[in-house]
Amino acid sequence: MKRSLANRSVAIAMVLLSALLASNSAALAQRNNNAANKELPMGELMKLPGKLLSEAKTAKQSGELKLTGYRVEELQLPRNINAEVRGQQVVINRAWRVTITGGPFPVRAMPAAIWIDDQIVGYGIENETLSQITAITLDNSLLREGGVIALSYGENKDARVQLPQRIQWKREGENQ
Amino acid sequence: MKRTSKTYSFIVAITLFVSVAVQTAFGQVPDPGAPGPLAVTREEYDFGDTAFTPGDFPGPVELRASIHHPTDLSGGPFPVIVFLHGRHATCFKGGGSALLQWPCTANNSQPIPSYQGYDYVAEVLASHGYVVVSISANGINAVDNLVFDLGAEARAELIQKHLDTLKTFNTTGGAPFGTKFVGKFDLTRVGTMGHSRGGEGVVRHQGLNIQLGSPYGIKAVFPLAPVDFNRFVVNNAALNVLLPYCDGDVSDLQGVHFYDDARYNVPGDQSPKHYELVMGANHNFYNTVWSPSSPFPGSANDWLAFVPGGKTDPQCGKGKGNQRLTEAQQRGTGLAYMTAFFRAYVGGETQFLPILTGDAPPPASAQTNNLFVSYHAPDNPALRLDVNRLLNNTNLTVNKVGGAVTQTALTPYELCGGDDPQALRCLPDQPDARQPHTTPSIRSSLRGLSQLNTGWNNLTGNYKNEIPSTLANVSGFQALQFRVAVNFADARNLAGLAQNFCVVLTDNSGSTASIRVSDVSSALFFPPGSVGPVPKVVLNTVRIPLSAFGGVNLHNIRSVDFTFNEQAQGGVLVTDISFASAPL
Repeated sequence: MKRSLANRSVAIAMVLLSALLASNSAALAQRNNNAANKELPMGELMKLPGKLLSEAKTAKQSGELKLTGYRVEELQLPRNINAEVRGQQVVINRAWRVTITGGPFPVRAMPAAIWIDDQIVGYGIENETLSQITAITLDNSLLREGGVIALSYGENKDARVQLPQRIQWKREGENQ
Repeated sequence: MKRTSKTYSFIVAITLFVSVAVQTAFGQVPDPGAPGPLAVTREEYDFGDTAFTPGDFPGPVELRASIHHPTDLSGGPFPVIVFLHGRHATCFKGGGSALLQWPCTANNSQPIPSYQGYDYVAEVLASHGYVVVSISANGINAVDNLVFDLGAEARAELIQKHLDTLKTFNTTGGAPFGTKFVGKFDLTRVGTMGHSRGGEGVVRHQGLNIQLGSPYGIKAVFPLAPVDFNRFVVNNAALNVLLPYCDGDVSDLQGVHFYDDARYNVPGDQSPKHYELVMGANHNFYNTVWSPSSPFPGSANDWLAFVPGGKTDPQCGKGKGNQRLTEAQQRGTGLAYMTAFFRAYVGGETQFLPILTGDAPPPASAQTNNLFVSYHAPDNPALRLDVNRLLNNTNLTVNKVGGAVTQTALTPYELCGGDDPQALRCLPDQPDARQPHTTPSIRSSLRGLSQLNTGWNNLTGNYKNEIPSTLANVSGFQALQFRVAVNFADARNLAGLAQNFCVVLTDNSGSTASIRVSDVSSALFFPPGSVGPVPKVVLNTVRIPLSAFGGVNLHNIRSVDFTFNEQAQGGVLVTDISFASAPL
């Protein structure tokens, strides 16, 4: 009864898996049976201070969703957790938070998905004023220099709205 | 575009013709959406913005709801219908800005009353002797993307909490109503309707109520334009899914999985299953608060707002000849089918069943005939004989009744969309949003609907299911039925033109009777639209009354044939071939 992954690229499947893992504590608990993981709910990850890795802003709005910029941050988790990343059980102590700015974003039934190139980083969470959508991933291999960031609702790849700015890592010594 | 529009008008005309014919056959079915004789009172209860926190949920939720009830309560206890809205902005400030927070703490912000958006249905149901409770769920909407199931469990728990509250009103009484409702609610007869994420919520709730020992009698579940992220299933309660063809939010119509997944899931399931595909309908207009005529921020025509390039679509967009429904028309479809469903399966008003099986046309309150009704009969040998479920490759040669299955001049002749090793999608080069029966679910790896993908290149194409002599007496059933869609991606189907073929019954003396599908159904329409999620294949039920097959002995049927001799070529998707009757 399980959906075969054969017709999807392994890469996409792994990305989705990591997206599931990153979605909340319940997901982590499902995968790991590790009670300690329940102490890292998604809401907490959203609030953790992050180290800014890349950021871009523009006054010019992109597409119907009026995207204006993005931010990629590295999060130091309060402690190590067990997780499955790209099919491997690993112990991790970092996560990555990708935020797209613009909007105001509609509040829809279908969740927003944040993409880098052709891979979903995670399903997004709106902020209260609907000016930001944020996803969290445990897999930093998705985040690559020059990657194109985009937003869709559901997995509708054809309806993605792309940001004009590509990911460019801040160099050591740049202002954060 | 013009040809498509003309063709579509023709299809609508045919539908009207067939509807009139069927209506004549079934007599005049009353309109379930017409206002009833009882005066109605609307009240609310409100225990505060933070009165409830579902288990493992990251925020508080309000306990607030409206109650529509007969003003004269002396006729109680009344059956109870519960409504749950879906995901939408939660708060608004003057100047037109919507917010997503709970409670509404921003300066001068106020809650958006999404729960009031179905009052137009509640008023009618209450006027016929139902108590209708519509729940506010802004607290869930504010943070449901933070939890893995995207709020389904929390919504289910919220419904149960409100049912517990109603139980208190019904037994000891309680503020703010005192003893007014004591003995007035029949909580053994409950129906639930959920819109959008609320649709998955009512499905999950049916399961939760069972897990809790079935304290309430959930008789009927109506997901309206629902999401199906988790692939929960409703069994042993009547199910009706409404699918808006021009849904711009849940644009892949993933809610059709609720019907597909439930069909053969529980042997002996005595509950009927239905869905309506409403052409020209979008996601939001079913809720007045979410519609453009609403004074509240966050409202939109979702097709135009969310589908890139959507306004140019000839079916769902704004071009001349489009088939978009107005707000009033769309709510008419919701009113008609919600009232028919709940009055039939919660209230026992069986006169409305022909509307739900498709044997009678949409009632006047629906305000359109441009919709398609599908029906799956209860798993009861008196009501359904499955000829071919088309679930696995065995069914390409042997059917459910053990008869031989053969084909002539059909290509392809294969199953798709179901479990491995079937192809994941039936239209491999089309987006998921255009093939709802196989669209993936965010939180489930279950596959989709197994369908026969077939077609013909000349007038000799034939598909035969033989019936063993032990099951040859089908005279006790009302109809022969199956689900079918024209495969718009098959180039043998001409864009904009309806398909056609014949269904032939043969008895054991060799007598045959043939019915053209187009004479009884318009389900073989070419799926309209050209932008984004449309066209899309949704299989619709063709239900042919057995009385139409004159000259054959229905007590001794030998075979059912689909004979593709009406159009020189074509391609269709087929499933669920059965003899079936309406629920008792």
